[in-house]
Amino acid sequence: MRQKKIRFFGGLLATQENWLNRQAQRGLRLVSTGKLIYEWEECLPGQVKYRVEFVGHKSKENTQDYRRFLEGMGYRVWEKPINLQFSIGKVQYRPWAEKGGRLATNSTTLDRELFIVEKQNDSQPFVLHTTFEDRLNYCRTLQKPWWTVLFLCCLLAVGLQSWIAGIFGLATLVPIFLYQRQIALLKKESHIREQ
Amino acid sequence: MRDHIKGGALTEVTFFLLLALHQPRHGYAVMQFIQKKTNGRLTLGAGTLYGALRVLAEKGWIAPWGEQNGAKRAYLITEAGREAARQERQRLIQLAAVADEIMGGNI
Repeated sequence: MRQKKIRFFGGLLATQENWLNRQAQRGLRLVSTGKLIYEWEECLPGQVKYRVEFVGHKSKENTQDYRRFLEGMGYRVWEKPINLQFSIGKVQYRPWAEKGGRLATNSTTLDRELFIVEKQNDSQPFVLHTTFEDRLNYCRTLQKPWWTVLFLCCLLAVGLQSWIAGIFGLATLVPIFLYQRQIALLKKESHIREQ
Repeated sequence: MRDHIKGGALTEVTFFLLLALHQPRHGYAVMQFIQKKTNGRLTLGAGTLYGALRVLAEKGWIAPWGEQNGAKRAYLITEAGREAARQERQRLIQLAAVADEIMGGNI
C-alpha cells in the first residue's frame, strides 16, 4: 500500500537523509518525490538506504551525466528542489556554482538541486564521497551558497538598514561555521592520509 | 584529484583506477575490482569514483571504451595512462626498497 508524507527540509541535507533512512528502517521505500511530498511503498525494513546529494552547482549536462553514472552503479535516483521557489520567471543566478557561476532555469537545474540516491542494503556502508580530498571539495561546495546568502544579507542589512536581513545574515554563520570546522578537520587529516 | 607532478606520486585511488582500467570496465566493475584487490580496505564512493574518472578522462589517461550504452559507460587506460602507471610502480618499488633497507625487510 502506498502512502504520502509531507515534509520540508530546505538546506538541512543531513536531516532529510536521516528522515529518509528512518522511513526505510520502518519498511518504506521511496516511489516518487516533489517539492513537499514524498510517496512511499512498503518493503522489508532496512531493505534500502538513502543518501542526499547536493548537485545545484553542476551544469545540466553534468547533472544528467552524474545521474546516469549513479544509475549505472545500480542506484535509484530522484531529483528534488532544495527550496520552495515562488518567483516571477524561472531564472536564477548562482554565483557559487562551478566555473564562476551559472544561470539556472527551469529547463536546466532550477528545482533540481538535490539527488536522493537509493541503494539496496547489502550491509556495506553507503557513502558517496570517500577520499579526504573529495569530501573536502564537497564540503566547500555545500558551504559556498551560504557565503552568498551571507553576502546578500549584509548588503541588505547595510543598504536598507534592515535588521531582519542582519538576523538572517547572522543565522547563516551557523552552517558556514559548521562546514568550516569540517573542512579544517578534513584538511588536517588529508595531510597524512588519503582516505 | 591530486597527482604530484613534480614528485610523480599518484594518489592510491588514481593508481588503482589506472590498474583497474588495464581492461575495459564500467564504474561498478571498477569499484568491485578495487574492493576485491584491497580486501575491502579501499572502498570508493560513487561520487568520488565519478569525479576521479572524469579527471582521468580529461587528462587523457583513460578513454571511453566501446559502445556507450546509456548508464553503463566503460573506460580503458590510454598509453599516457600506462606511462603514468609505470612511473608510479617504479616509484613504489624504490619506496619499498628504502623501507626494506631501514626496517630490515620485516613486514
